Amino acid sequence: MQSPKHTLAIARFFRQHKRLPSYREMLTLTGFKSTNAVYRLVGRLVELGFLSKDKNSKFAPGPHLLGVSVLGTVEAGWPSPAEEELVDTLTLDDWLIHNREATFMLKVSGDSMIEAGIRPGDMLLVERGRTPRSGDIIVAEVDKHWTLKYYERHGGRVVLMPANKKYKPILPQEELNIAAVVTAVIRKYHS
Amino acid sequence: MKPLSLQSYLFPRAVLHIDGDAFFAACEQARNPSLRGKPVVTGKERGIAASMSYEAKAKGVTRAMPIWEIRKICPNVIYLPSDYETYSLLSRRFYDIVRRFTPDVEEYGIDECFADITGWDKPFQADYVDLALKLQDTLKKELGFTFSIGLAPNKVLAKLGSKWKKPYGFTAIPFTNIKDYLNIPADKIWGIGTQTTAKLNRSGITTAFQFVNAKRDWVKLAFARPIYDLWKELNGEQIMPLFEEEKTEYGSIQKFKTFTPPSRDPAFIFAQLSKNVENACIKLRRYNQATMKAVIILRTQAFDHSVREVLFERPTNLPPEMLPRLHEAFVKMLRLNTLYRATGIVTYDLVPMLIQPDLFQSTKRAEKFQKVYASTDKAAAKYGKHTLFLGTSWQAHQFGAHLNERGDDPKRKHELFLGETKRKRLGIPMLLGEGI
Repeated sequence: MQSPKHTLAIARFFRQHKRLPSYREMLTLTGFKSTNAVYRLVGRLVELGFLSKDKNSKFAPGPHLLGVSVLGTVEAGWPSPAEEELVDTLTLDDWLIHNREATFMLKVSGDSMIEAGIRPGDMLLVERGRTPRSGDIIVAEVDKHWTLKYYERHGGRVVLMPANKKYKPILPQEELNIAAVVTAVIRKYHS
Repeated sequence: MKPLSLQSYLFPRAVLHIDGDAFFAACEQARNPSLRGKPVVTGKERGIAASMSYEAKAKGVTRAMPIWEIRKICPNVIYLPSDYETYSLLSRRFYDIVRRFTPDVEEYGIDECFADITGWDKPFQADYVDLALKLQDTLKKELGFTFSIGLAPNKVLAKLGSKWKKPYGFTAIPFTNIKDYLNIPADKIWGIGTQTTAKLNRSGITTAFQFVNAKRDWVKLAFARPIYDLWKELNGEQIMPLFEEEKTEYGSIQKFKTFTPPSRDPAFIFAQLSKNVENACIKLRRYNQATMKAVIILRTQAFDHSVREVLFERPTNLPPEMLPRLHEAFVKMLRLNTLYRATGIVTYDLVPMLIQPDLFQSTKRAEKFQKVYASTDKAAAKYGKHTLFLGTSWQAHQFGAHLNERGDDPKRKHELFLGETKRKRLGIPMLLGEGI
């Protein structure tokens, strides 16, 4: 499908902000001087399936908007069938990160989780604010230090288990401050 | 849930002002537990306090306080260089979390924003107070530090609300209760500066309450429009809109940098200026703007300033087109055997960048430079800022701006993963501290 002019700008805005631009923002994006012109463009984009309107006539991305190749150099033209298939692919970023705003990284320095395959120098992606489930690896704050352990519940009691026989389990006496839950381990071998 | 009619009576418009609690210091404490509960001050690279944790504030450290004074009143202070990269990443996340609640957000500053949540009570099935509290809780859980929130029918009152109780405060100022919050000096109101305060004082007005009760006609006559708007908002009217557009162009761009130790070497001082010029041009090119005028500023060790305006042949954003003219001016400004400690450039009257053919055929040369700088910008995008820079800036690039402790880099710059460089790192904030 041939995308009308400005579709790329809208698609790019959508990827960046995870929402569609308002009419006012569309004025800036397109360089149009009147909302009427934007209104006509929007009508055409709805017709072509780049945008859709729900029953309250609010905008939603149409089925084709995500297919607009944001990185490609061709703005108008016929994408190849192979490109259409790429619409449903995830980036490595999207695959690794669930809640972008709450995700932090850290560099492992110790060996307390070595038997879980977490080695010094590894990168961990951790998510703040997530409720840990038994068996999750968590980052907790103990005595003004971070600590990396398995979070385990045994009949209502919480135990922080290391994955290294050299270290002892921690049985939190008072309130346990869990900062984040580990969501991924990344180890890079070449740059 | 309260009846909706009451909601819309108390808050004909529901505006939030969300304000970070000691934002920079909080960013540092949240990522490093060994800093928690301790007096933390950021701004080491400037030699003053840029942001203070509440523990440092309790010791009497105030904004812009010089380091020797901070160390005197708070000997166990933890003094950190600003890590603007991390603060900016967290600031962006802060806005993004607010946008989960409403698309109408004005990014007012790196650590504060306005959000209009009018009408979002219905879809979220929660009243405005609950929505604000839910937002405050989400920010704390996901970012790891706190914000104070004011909820009111307009921006001026919302701003008053967020300052009312801090840290982690929440203050709702409904339309019906505005008067309860006005028993404060008039200059505590956002937008009332020293001049307005003086003028108010002359008319016998010292408190916000007195100002609000002043007659409409008098305020309208005696003050300019912004102060009249402010008066109307303090009276509960909804005047000021939220400015939601991201900045796409600037009216002026300035780059000003201090270096230590101070220097009397003209080549070194010009290198510092040249680096500032390159930085200003990078920003101009990013927004596709150009300038015909610039002002050079030189600051001596004795804090004297010399300032000179320079005109270019045509609007430009390329250092090679600016530097010859700037150098002429620089030579005339520079006093020999004087120690200098800072240089800066201000560009203004900015226009969109276009190449216009001129009578003297210098357009070809300009096009050539355009191409060179298009490549320079590409190299910077791939390998980091200042991958390519001018020879005139070389001396300024050889060292950090500061050769003493003010030159300490933020820790994140040294905690690198394979493939990261000192100039280019992953855009995800990093937890620091021991024990991981």
